[in-house]
Amino acid sequence: MMTIFLFMFLMAQAAAPQIIAPGVGNLADRGPKIDMNKAKAFNPPRTEFGHPDLEGIWQPRASGAAFSVLPHSGGFFLGQGSETGIVEGGVLPYQAWAAEEVRYRREHVELDPTGHCHYEGIPHALYFTFQIFQTPTKIAFVHENMHAWRIVYLTGDHPKDYSAWMGDSRGRWEGNTLVVDVTNNSDKSVFDMAGHFHSDQLRVVERYTLQDANTLIWEATLTDPKVFTRPVKMRFPLVRAPKDFAIMESGCFEDERDQAHLKGAALPANHYNEEHEKEKK
Amino acid sequence: MMSAVAFGQTAYKVARTSDGKPDLQGIWIARNTASFDVTEIAEDPTIPYLPEALEREAKADRVDPIAHCAMPGVPRITYMPFPFEIMQRPGYVVLLYEYLHNHRVIQTTPREHAEGIDLFLGDSIARYEGDTLVIDVTNLGNRTWLDSARHMHSDQLHVVERYTRTAPDRMLYEATLEDPQTYSKPWKIRMTLHRINEPGFELKEQECVEGDDGRAIHPLYRPASKS
Repeated sequence: MMTIFLFMFLMAQAAAPQIIAPGVGNLADRGPKIDMNKAKAFNPPRTEFGHPDLEGIWQPRASGAAFSVLPHSGGFFLGQGSETGIVEGGVLPYQAWAAEEVRYRREHVELDPTGHCHYEGIPHALYFTFQIFQTPTKIAFVHENMHAWRIVYLTGDHPKDYSAWMGDSRGRWEGNTLVVDVTNNSDKSVFDMAGHFHSDQLRVVERYTLQDANTLIWEATLTDPKVFTRPVKMRFPLVRAPKDFAIMESGCFEDERDQAHLKGAALPANHYNEEHEKEKK
Repeated sequence: MMSAVAFGQTAYKVARTSDGKPDLQGIWIARNTASFDVTEIAEDPTIPYLPEALEREAKADRVDPIAHCAMPGVPRITYMPFPFEIMQRPGYVVLLYEYLHNHRVIQTTPREHAEGIDLFLGDSIARYEGDTLVIDVTNLGNRTWLDSARHMHSDQLHVVERYTRTAPDRMLYEATLEDPQTYSKPWKIRMTLHRINEPGFELKEQECVEGDDGRAIHPLYRPASKS
Protein backbone atom coordinates (compact mmCIF):
# COMPACT_ATOMS: atom_id res chain seq x y z
CA MET A 1 0.00 0.00 0.00
CA MET A 2 2.86 2.29 0.88
CA THR A 3 4.16 1.78 -2.62
CA ILE A 4 0.90 3.00 -4.01
CA PHE A 5 0.95 6.09 -1.84
CA LEU A 6 4.55 6.80 -2.67
CA PHE A 7 3.54 6.62 -6.28
CA MET A 8 0.73 9.03 -5.49
CA PHE A 9 3.12 11.51 -3.95
CA LEU A 10 5.51 11.37 -6.86
CA MET A 11 2.74 11.76 -9.37
CA ALA A 12 1.26 14.60 -7.36
CA GLN A 13 4.56 16.39 -7.36
CA ALA A 14 5.02 15.85 -11.04
CA ALA A 15 1.59 17.33 -11.59
CA ALA A 16 1.74 20.12 -8.99
CA PRO A 17 -1.32 22.21 -9.70
CA GLN A 18 -0.85 25.20 -11.91
CA ILE A 19 -3.37 27.71 -10.76
CA ILE A 20 -5.16 29.21 -13.70
CA ALA A 21 -7.52 32.12 -13.68
CA PRO A 22 -11.23 31.25 -13.57
CA GLY A 23 -12.65 31.20 -17.05
CA VAL A 24 -9.35 30.37 -18.67
CA GLY A 25 -8.96 27.11 -20.55
CA ASN A 26 -11.58 24.72 -21.79
CA LEU A 27 -11.78 22.21 -18.95
CA ALA A 28 -15.30 21.04 -18.43
CA ASP A 29 -16.54 20.84 -14.85
CA ARG A 30 -18.77 17.81 -14.64
CA GLY A 31 -21.92 17.42 -12.63
CA PRO A 32 -25.33 19.05 -12.51
CA LYS A 33 -25.57 22.82 -12.41
CA ILE A 34 -26.49 24.24 -9.03
CA ASP A 35 -29.77 26.13 -9.24
CA MET A 36 -30.77 27.64 -5.90
CA ASN A 37 -34.16 28.76 -7.22
CA LYS A 38 -34.95 25.22 -8.19
CA ALA A 39 -33.82 24.06 -4.75
CA LYS A 40 -36.06 26.64 -3.06
CA ALA A 41 -39.05 25.48 -5.07
CA PHE A 42 -38.37 21.77 -4.50
CA ASN A 43 -40.55 20.06 -1.91
CA PRO A 44 -38.29 17.30 -0.60
CA PRO A 45 -39.51 13.89 0.54
CA ARG A 46 -39.76 13.56 4.33
CA THR A 47 -38.54 10.98 6.79
CA GLU A 48 -41.14 9.27 8.97
CA PHE A 49 -40.33 11.87 11.65
CA GLY A 50 -40.94 14.78 9.31
CA HIS A 51 -37.44 15.97 8.46
CA PRO A 52 -36.36 16.54 4.85
CA ASP A 53 -35.07 13.16 3.71
CA LEU A 54 -31.41 13.38 2.69
CA GLU A 55 -30.79 9.68 3.24
CA GLY A 56 -28.90 7.77 0.59
CA ILE A 57 -25.50 7.41 -0.93
CA TRP A 58 -24.16 10.65 -2.40
CA GLN A 59 -21.43 11.04 -4.98
CA PRO A 60 -19.83 14.46 -5.00
CA ARG A 61 -19.11 16.32 -8.21
CA ALA A 62 -16.40 18.32 -6.53
CA SER A 63 -14.35 19.50 -9.51
CA GLY A 64 -11.26 17.59 -8.48
CA ALA A 65 -11.18 19.31 -5.08
CA ALA A 66 -9.20 16.47 -3.53
CA PHE A 67 -6.42 17.61 -5.82
CA SER A 68 -7.01 21.32 -5.36
CA VAL A 69 -10.01 23.29 -4.13
CA LEU A 70 -8.94 26.10 -6.47
CA PRO A 71 -9.11 26.16 -10.27
CA HIS A 72 -6.47 23.79 -11.56
CA SER A 73 -5.38 21.97 -14.65
CA GLY A 74 -5.95 18.25 -14.93
CA GLY A 75 -3.56 15.39 -14.50
CA PHE A 76 -2.70 12.75 -11.98
CA PHE A 77 -5.02 9.99 -10.86
CA LEU A 78 -7.70 12.32 -9.52
CA GLY A 79 -7.53 13.49 -12.97
CA GLN A 80 -10.02 16.11 -13.64
CA GLY A 81 -9.02 19.69 -14.11
CA SER A 82 -11.41 22.43 -13.11
CA GLU A 83 -11.97 25.95 -14.35
CA THR A 84 -13.74 26.90 -11.20
CA GLY A 85 -12.62 24.72 -8.31
CA ILE A 86 -15.07 24.74 -5.43
CA VAL A 87 -14.08 28.08 -3.91
CA GLU A 88 -16.18 31.12 -4.76
CA GLY A 89 -14.02 33.56 -6.72
CA GLY A 90 -11.32 30.95 -7.21
CA VAL A 91 -9.06 32.43 -4.53
CA LEU A 92 -8.25 31.49 -0.94
CA PRO A 93 -7.54 34.71 1.00
CA TYR A 94 -4.49 33.51 2.90
CA GLN A 95 -2.58 35.87 5.16
CA ALA A 96 0.98 36.48 3.91
CA TRP A 97 2.65 33.98 6.28
CA ALA A 98 0.02 31.37 5.45
CA ALA A 99 0.51 31.82 1.69
CA GLU A 100 4.17 31.06 2.32
CA GLU A 101 3.18 27.93 4.23
CA VAL A 102 0.96 26.84 1.33
CA ARG A 103 3.92 27.13 -1.04
CA TYR A 104 6.06 25.05 1.34
CA ARG A 105 3.43 22.35 1.66
CA ARG A 106 2.90 22.22 -2.09
CA GLU A 107 6.55 21.32 -2.43
CA HIS A 108 6.23 18.68 0.30
CA VAL A 109 3.31 16.58 -0.76
CA GLU A 110 4.63 13.78 1.44
CA LEU A 111 3.29 15.80 4.37
CA ASP A 112 -0.27 15.33 3.12
CA PRO A 113 -1.94 13.45 5.99
CA THR A 114 -4.34 11.60 3.69
CA GLY A 115 -1.31 9.96 2.10
CA HIS A 116 -0.75 8.43 5.51
CA CYS A 117 -4.37 7.35 5.77
CA HIS A 118 -5.38 9.96 8.30
CA TYR A 119 -8.86 11.37 8.48
CA GLU A 120 -9.57 13.96 5.81
CA GLY A 121 -11.67 16.32 7.91
CA ILE A 122 -14.45 18.59 6.73
CA PRO A 123 -14.78 19.57 3.91
CA HIS A 124 -12.12 17.19 2.51
CA ALA A 125 -14.03 14.00 3.42
CA LEU A 126 -17.00 15.21 1.36
CA TYR A 127 -15.11 15.04 -1.95
CA PHE A 128 -15.66 11.26 -1.86
CA THR A 129 -18.78 9.11 -1.78
CA PHE A 130 -20.61 8.86 1.53
CA GLN A 131 -23.95 7.72 2.93
CA ILE A 132 -26.36 9.68 5.13
CA PHE A 133 -28.55 8.08 7.82
CA GLN A 134 -31.03 10.23 9.73
CA THR A 135 -32.71 9.92 13.10
CA PRO A 136 -34.76 12.58 14.91
CA THR A 137 -31.74 13.66 17.00
CA LYS A 138 -28.65 12.76 15.01
CA ILE A 139 -27.50 12.31 11.45
CA ALA A 140 -24.71 9.90 10.58
CA PHE A 141 -22.35 10.53 7.68
CA VAL A 142 -20.59 7.30 6.82
CA HIS A 143 -17.61 7.73 4.53
CA GLU A 144 -16.03 4.95 2.55
CA ASN A 145 -12.68 6.69 2.27
CA MET A 146 -10.45 6.25 5.36
CA HIS A 147 -13.39 4.35 6.90
CA ALA A 148 -14.40 7.58 8.55
CA TRP A 149 -17.73 8.47 10.04
CA ARG A 150 -19.17 11.57 11.63
CA ILE A 151 -22.29 12.11 13.66
CA VAL A 152 -24.04 15.45 13.25
CA TYR A 153 -25.93 16.03 16.50
CA LEU A 154 -29.16 18.00 16.32
CA THR A 155 -28.83 18.49 20.08
CA GLY A 156 -26.20 19.72 22.52
CA ASP A 157 -23.30 22.14 22.28
CA HIS A 158 -19.77 21.93 20.98
CA PRO A 159 -17.57 20.31 23.62
CA LYS A 160 -14.77 22.18 25.33
CA ASP A 161 -11.16 20.99 25.19
CA TYR A 162 -11.83 18.66 22.30
CA SER A 163 -10.03 18.64 19.00
CA ALA A 164 -10.75 16.21 16.20
CA TRP A 165 -9.75 15.64 12.59
CA MET A 166 -13.47 15.51 11.72
CA GLY A 167 -14.34 18.31 14.16
CA ASP A 168 -17.50 18.47 16.22
CA SER A 169 -20.72 18.85 14.27
CA ARG A 170 -23.96 20.39 15.58
CA GLY A 171 -26.79 20.62 13.10
CA ARG A 172 -30.21 22.18 12.76
CA TRP A 173 -32.91 22.33 10.12
CA GLU A 174 -33.55 25.71 8.52
CA GLY A 175 -36.60 25.02 6.40
CA ASN A 176 -35.51 22.27 4.03
CA THR A 177 -31.81 22.92 4.57
CA LEU A 178 -29.62 21.03 7.00
CA VAL A 179 -27.20 23.53 8.53
CA VAL A 180 -24.18 22.02 10.26
CA ASP A 181 -21.76 24.01 12.40
CA VAL A 182 -18.38 22.26 12.47
CA THR A 183 -15.92 23.46 15.11
CA ASN A 184 -13.23 21.82 17.28
CA ASN A 185 -11.28 21.14 14.08
CA SER A 186 -7.76 19.88 14.38
CA ASP A 187 -5.11 21.87 12.49
CA LYS A 188 -3.80 18.55 11.14
CA SER A 189 -6.41 18.02 8.42
CA VAL A 190 -6.04 19.85 5.12
CA PHE A 191 -8.33 21.02 2.31
CA ASP A 192 -6.60 19.20 -0.55
CA MET A 193 -3.28 17.91 -1.89
CA ALA A 194 -2.20 21.32 -3.13
CA GLY A 195 -0.98 22.62 0.22
CA HIS A 196 -4.17 24.45 1.19
CA PHE A 197 -4.36 24.19 4.96
CA HIS A 198 -6.21 25.66 7.91
CA SER A 199 -5.63 26.22 11.61
CA ASP A 200 -7.43 24.90 14.67
CA GLN A 201 -9.57 28.05 14.46
CA LEU A 202 -11.32 26.75 11.35
CA ARG A 203 -15.07 26.86 11.55
CA VAL A 204 -17.14 25.39 8.75
CA VAL A 205 -20.85 26.16 8.47
CA GLU A 206 -22.26 23.68 5.98
CA ARG A 207 -25.64 23.83 4.24
CA TYR A 208 -27.16 20.73 2.65
CA THR A 209 -30.18 21.33 0.38
CA LEU A 210 -31.89 19.00 -2.07
CA GLN A 211 -32.24 20.57 -5.51
CA ASP A 212 -34.28 17.64 -6.76
CA ALA A 213 -34.72 14.02 -5.65
CA ASN A 214 -31.29 13.04 -6.97
CA THR A 215 -29.22 16.20 -6.50
CA LEU A 216 -27.89 17.50 -3.21
CA ILE A 217 -26.27 20.93 -2.94
CA TRP A 218 -23.42 21.40 -0.48
CA GLU A 219 -22.48 24.96 0.41
CA ALA A 220 -20.19 26.10 3.15
CA THR A 221 -18.81 29.22 4.72
CA LEU A 222 -15.38 28.77 6.23
CA THR A 223 -13.83 31.15 8.70
CA ASP A 224 -10.32 30.86 10.08
CA PRO A 225 -8.97 34.11 11.56
CA LYS A 226 -5.52 32.58 12.00
CA VAL A 227 -4.92 31.94 8.28
CA PHE A 228 -7.58 33.75 6.19
CA THR A 229 -8.18 37.48 5.85
CA ARG A 230 -11.92 36.98 5.29
CA PRO A 231 -14.54 34.20 5.21
CA VAL A 232 -14.40 31.74 2.30
CA LYS A 233 -17.34 30.22 0.48
CA MET A 234 -17.31 26.80 -1.14
CA ARG A 235 -19.95 24.75 -2.89
CA PHE A 236 -20.48 21.77 -5.15
CA PRO A 237 -23.33 19.44 -6.12
CA LEU A 238 -23.67 15.75 -5.26
CA VAL A 239 -25.65 13.16 -7.17
CA ARG A 240 -27.49 10.15 -5.82
CA ALA A 241 -25.55 6.93 -6.39
CA PRO A 242 -27.00 4.16 -8.57
CA LYS A 243 -29.25 1.68 -6.75
CA ASP A 244 -26.72 -1.15 -6.51
CA PHE A 245 -24.14 1.05 -4.80
CA ALA A 246 -22.91 0.22 -1.29
CA ILE A 247 -20.41 1.81 1.07
CA MET A 248 -17.60 -0.73 1.24
CA GLU A 249 -14.55 -1.15 3.42
CA SER A 250 -11.52 1.05 2.90
CA GLY A 251 -8.50 -0.61 4.49
CA CYS A 252 -6.36 2.49 4.75
CA PHE A 253 -4.85 2.52 8.21
CA GLU A 254 -3.40 5.59 9.86
CA ASP A 255 0.18 6.58 9.77
CA GLU A 256 1.29 3.84 7.47
CA ARG A 257 4.93 4.86 7.45
CA ASP A 258 6.94 1.75 8.04
CA GLN A 259 6.68 -0.79 5.32
CA ALA A 260 9.57 -2.72 6.91
CA HIS A 261 7.39 -3.68 9.84
CA LEU A 262 4.56 -4.71 7.60
CA LYS A 263 6.63 -7.05 5.46
CA GLY A 264 6.12 -10.69 6.32
CA ALA A 265 3.44 -9.92 8.86
CA ALA A 266 -0.14 -11.06 8.67
CA LEU A 267 -1.00 -7.64 7.48
CA PRO A 268 -2.87 -5.73 4.87
CA ALA A 269 0.15 -4.23 3.18
CA ASN A 270 1.31 -7.58 1.88
CA HIS A 271 -2.08 -8.38 0.59
CA TYR A 272 -2.35 -5.18 -1.37
CA ASN A 273 1.19 -5.44 -2.62
CA GLU A 274 0.55 -8.98 -3.80
CA GLU A 275 -2.59 -7.85 -5.55
CA HIS A 276 -0.74 -4.92 -7.01
CA GLU A 277 2.04 -7.19 -8.28
CA LYS A 278 -0.54 -9.51 -9.81
CA GLU A 279 -2.20 -6.61 -11.56
CA LYS A 280 1.09 -5.50 -13.02
CA LYS A 281 1.71 -8.93 -14.59
CA MET B 1 -27.07 -23.22 29.12
CA MET B 2 -28.27 -19.65 29.26
CA SER B 3 -31.01 -18.80 26.86
CA ALA B 4 -31.79 -15.19 26.07
CA VAL B 5 -34.77 -15.50 28.38
CA ALA B 6 -32.92 -17.01 31.33
CA PHE B 7 -30.11 -14.52 30.81
CA GLY B 8 -32.22 -11.43 31.30
CA GLN B 9 -35.54 -10.49 32.74
CA THR B 10 -38.38 -12.55 31.42
CA ALA B 11 -40.78 -9.62 31.73
CA TYR B 12 -38.72 -7.33 29.51
CA LYS B 13 -40.30 -6.48 26.22
CA VAL B 14 -38.10 -4.80 23.67
CA ALA B 15 -39.40 -1.59 22.11
CA ARG B 16 -39.98 -1.51 18.37
CA THR B 17 -38.67 0.85 15.71
CA SER B 18 -41.12 2.73 13.51
CA ASP B 19 -40.91 -0.10 10.98
CA GLY B 20 -41.63 -2.75 13.63
CA LYS B 21 -38.14 -4.13 14.26
CA PRO B 22 -36.73 -4.73 17.77
CA ASP B 23 -35.16 -1.39 18.71
CA LEU B 24 -31.48 -1.90 19.57
CA GLN B 25 -30.48 1.71 19.08
CA GLY B 26 -28.16 3.38 21.52
CA ILE B 27 -24.57 3.33 22.68
CA TRP B 28 -23.28 -0.06 23.89
CA ILE B 29 -20.07 -1.37 25.36
CA ALA B 30 -18.68 -4.77 26.33
CA ARG B 31 -17.24 -4.58 29.82
CA ASN B 32 -14.82 -7.47 29.66
CA THR B 33 -11.30 -8.25 28.57
CA ALA B 34 -12.14 -10.67 25.77
CA SER B 35 -10.13 -8.63 23.27
CA PHE B 36 -7.06 -9.88 25.15
CA ASP B 37 -8.30 -13.46 25.42
CA VAL B 38 -11.51 -14.54 23.74
CA THR B 39 -11.80 -17.71 25.81
CA GLU B 40 -13.08 -15.46 28.60
CA ILE B 41 -16.42 -15.34 26.80
CA ALA B 42 -16.31 -18.70 25.02
CA GLU B 43 -19.05 -21.17 25.90
CA ASP B 44 -16.35 -23.82 26.23
CA PRO B 45 -12.98 -22.25 27.08
CA THR B 46 -11.23 -24.88 24.96
CA ILE B 47 -11.46 -23.73 21.37
CA PRO B 48 -11.88 -26.83 19.16
CA TYR B 49 -8.76 -26.31 17.09
CA LEU B 50 -7.77 -28.77 14.41
CA PRO B 51 -4.16 -29.97 14.93
CA GLU B 52 -3.04 -28.41 11.65
CA ALA B 53 -4.55 -25.09 12.68
CA LEU B 54 -2.58 -25.12 15.92
CA GLU B 55 0.54 -25.78 13.92
CA ARG B 56 -0.28 -22.90 11.60
CA GLU B 57 -0.87 -20.68 14.61
CA ALA B 58 2.45 -21.62 16.21
CA LYS B 59 4.29 -20.58 13.04
CA ALA B 60 2.35 -17.38 12.51
CA ASP B 61 3.42 -13.83 13.10
CA ARG B 62 3.68 -12.73 16.72
CA VAL B 63 2.45 -9.19 16.37
CA ASP B 64 -1.23 -8.56 16.89
CA PRO B 65 -2.47 -6.99 13.63
CA ILE B 66 -4.27 -4.25 15.52
CA ALA B 67 -0.84 -3.09 16.67
CA HIS B 68 -0.51 -1.78 13.12
CA CYS B 69 -3.84 0.02 13.31
CA ALA B 70 -5.60 -2.67 11.26
CA MET B 71 -9.33 -3.21 11.70
CA PRO B 72 -9.89 -5.87 14.35
CA GLY B 73 -12.32 -8.06 12.41
CA VAL B 74 -15.59 -9.62 13.53
CA PRO B 75 -16.45 -10.60 16.27
CA ARG B 76 -13.46 -8.88 17.92
CA ILE B 77 -14.66 -5.38 17.05
CA THR B 78 -17.69 -5.99 19.28
CA TYR B 79 -15.61 -6.71 22.39
CA MET B 80 -12.95 -4.08 21.90
CA PRO B 81 -13.27 -2.15 25.18
CA PHE B 82 -14.76 0.95 23.56
CA PRO B 83 -18.34 2.06 23.03
CA PHE B 84 -20.19 1.67 19.75
CA GLU B 85 -23.48 3.03 18.52
CA ILE B 86 -26.26 1.13 16.79
CA MET B 87 -28.56 2.97 14.40
CA GLN B 88 -31.42 1.25 12.63
CA ARG B 89 -33.05 2.55 9.48
CA PRO B 90 -35.42 0.82 7.11
CA GLY B 91 -33.23 -1.57 5.14
CA TYR B 92 -30.09 -0.88 7.18
CA VAL B 93 -28.34 -1.49 10.46
CA VAL B 94 -25.46 0.93 10.99
CA LEU B 95 -22.77 0.15 13.54
CA LEU B 96 -20.44 3.04 14.38
CA TYR B 97 -17.49 2.05 16.54
CA GLU B 98 -15.48 4.53 18.56
CA TYR B 99 -12.51 2.15 18.25
CA LEU B 100 -10.44 3.58 15.40
CA HIS B 101 -13.54 4.92 13.65
CA ASN B 102 -14.54 1.54 12.27
CA HIS B 103 -18.01 1.26 10.82
CA ARG B 104 -20.30 -1.38 9.36
CA VAL B 105 -23.16 -0.40 7.09
CA ILE B 106 -25.27 -3.55 6.92
CA GLN B 107 -28.20 -4.13 4.61
CA THR B 108 -31.19 -6.09 5.87
CA THR B 109 -32.32 -6.96 2.38
CA PRO B 110 -31.66 -10.65 1.73
CA ARG B 111 -28.86 -11.25 -0.76
CA GLU B 112 -25.96 -13.59 -1.46
CA HIS B 113 -22.57 -12.96 0.15
CA ALA B 114 -19.93 -11.26 -1.95
CA GLU B 115 -17.51 -13.45 -3.84
CA GLY B 116 -13.79 -13.11 -4.32
CA ILE B 117 -13.16 -10.32 -1.83
CA ASP B 118 -11.71 -10.37 1.68
CA LEU B 119 -12.58 -7.58 4.06
CA PHE B 120 -11.24 -6.92 7.54
CA LEU B 121 -14.76 -6.52 8.89
CA GLY B 122 -16.21 -9.04 6.49
CA ASP B 123 -19.33 -9.01 4.37
CA SER B 124 -22.33 -8.67 6.67
CA ILE B 125 -25.99 -9.39 5.94
CA ALA B 126 -28.55 -8.66 8.65
CA ARG B 127 -31.98 -10.10 9.36
CA TYR B 128 -34.39 -10.05 12.28
CA GLU B 129 -35.58 -13.23 14.00
CA GLY B 130 -38.27 -12.25 16.48
CA ASP B 131 -36.59 -9.95 19.00
CA THR B 132 -33.10 -10.79 17.77
CA LEU B 133 -30.91 -9.06 15.21
CA VAL B 134 -28.94 -11.73 13.37
CA ILE B 135 -25.89 -10.74 11.31
CA ASP B 136 -24.31 -13.28 9.02
CA VAL B 137 -20.66 -12.49 8.32
CA THR B 138 -18.31 -14.08 5.78
CA ASN B 139 -15.39 -12.89 3.60
CA LEU B 140 -13.38 -12.11 6.75
CA GLY B 141 -10.01 -13.08 5.32
CA ASN B 142 -7.33 -14.61 7.51
CA ARG B 143 -5.58 -11.43 8.54
CA THR B 144 -7.40 -10.66 11.75
CA TRP B 145 -7.06 -12.31 15.15
CA LEU B 146 -9.84 -12.99 17.63
CA ASP B 147 -7.79 -11.44 20.46
CA SER B 148 -4.28 -10.39 21.46
CA ALA B 149 -3.65 -13.98 22.62
CA ARG B 150 -3.26 -14.98 18.96
CA HIS B 151 -6.41 -17.01 18.58
CA MET B 152 -6.71 -17.09 14.85
CA HIS B 153 -8.94 -18.20 12.02
CA SER B 154 -8.70 -18.88 8.31
CA ASP B 155 -10.42 -17.09 5.45
CA GLN B 156 -13.18 -19.71 5.72
CA LEU B 157 -14.46 -18.17 8.97
CA HIS B 158 -18.21 -17.77 9.06
CA VAL B 159 -19.60 -15.79 11.99
CA VAL B 160 -23.27 -15.59 12.90
CA GLU B 161 -23.85 -12.79 15.40
CA ARG B 162 -27.02 -12.53 17.46
CA TYR B 163 -27.99 -9.34 19.30
CA THR B 164 -30.91 -9.63 21.75
CA ARG B 165 -31.96 -6.98 24.25
CA THR B 166 -32.68 -8.62 27.60
CA ALA B 167 -33.26 -5.54 29.77
CA PRO B 168 -33.44 -1.78 29.18
CA ASP B 169 -29.67 -1.48 29.59
CA ARG B 170 -28.51 -4.97 28.68
CA MET B 171 -28.06 -6.82 25.44
CA LEU B 172 -27.05 -10.42 24.98
CA TYR B 173 -24.42 -10.86 22.30
CA GLU B 174 -23.86 -14.35 20.98
CA ALA B 175 -21.76 -15.43 18.05
CA THR B 176 -21.15 -18.79 16.45
CA LEU B 177 -17.78 -19.26 14.76
CA GLU B 178 -17.52 -21.86 12.06
CA ASP B 179 -14.30 -22.46 10.18
CA PRO B 180 -13.73 -25.96 8.78
CA GLN B 181 -10.06 -25.16 8.11
CA THR B 182 -9.41 -24.16 11.73
CA TYR B 183 -11.99 -25.62 14.10
CA SER B 184 -13.25 -29.21 14.35
CA LYS B 185 -16.76 -27.95 15.07
CA PRO B 186 -18.58 -24.62 15.37
CA TRP B 187 -18.14 -22.90 18.74
CA LYS B 188 -19.84 -20.08 20.52
CA ILE B 189 -19.06 -16.91 22.41
CA ARG B 190 -21.53 -15.08 24.60
CA MET B 191 -21.35 -11.85 26.56
CA THR B 192 -23.40 -8.95 27.84
CA LEU B 193 -23.34 -5.58 26.15
CA HIS B 194 -24.07 -2.66 28.46
CA ARG B 195 -25.99 0.39 27.35
CA ILE B 196 -24.40 3.71 28.21
CA ASN B 197 -27.11 6.00 29.53
CA GLU B 198 -25.00 8.84 30.87
CA PRO B 199 -26.80 12.02 29.69
CA GLY B 200 -24.96 13.72 26.84
CA PHE B 201 -22.61 10.78 26.28
CA GLU B 202 -21.39 10.87 22.71
CA LEU B 203 -18.85 8.80 20.81
CA LYS B 204 -15.59 10.64 20.35
CA GLU B 205 -13.06 10.52 17.58
CA GLN B 206 -10.30 8.01 17.97
CA GLU B 207 -7.32 7.74 15.68
CA CYS B 208 -4.53 5.25 15.64
CA VAL B 209 -0.96 6.43 15.47
CA GLU B 210 1.63 3.89 14.56
CA GLY B 211 4.83 4.38 16.52
CA ASP B 212 8.34 4.24 15.16
CA ASP B 213 8.62 0.56 16.05
CA GLY B 214 5.47 -0.21 14.13
CA ARG B 215 3.36 -0.72 17.23
CA ALA B 216 0.19 1.22 17.56
CA ILE B 217 0.08 3.97 20.09
CA HIS B 218 -3.54 3.98 21.01
CA PRO B 219 -4.85 7.19 22.41
CA LEU B 220 -5.82 7.27 26.02
CA TYR B 221 -9.41 6.40 26.38
CA ARG B 222 -11.56 9.33 25.25
CA PRO B 223 -8.78 11.89 25.23
CA ALA B 224 -9.48 15.57 25.76
CA SER B 225 -6.83 16.56 23.28
CA LYS B 226 -5.68 20.12 22.95
CA SER B 227 -4.01 21.03 19.72
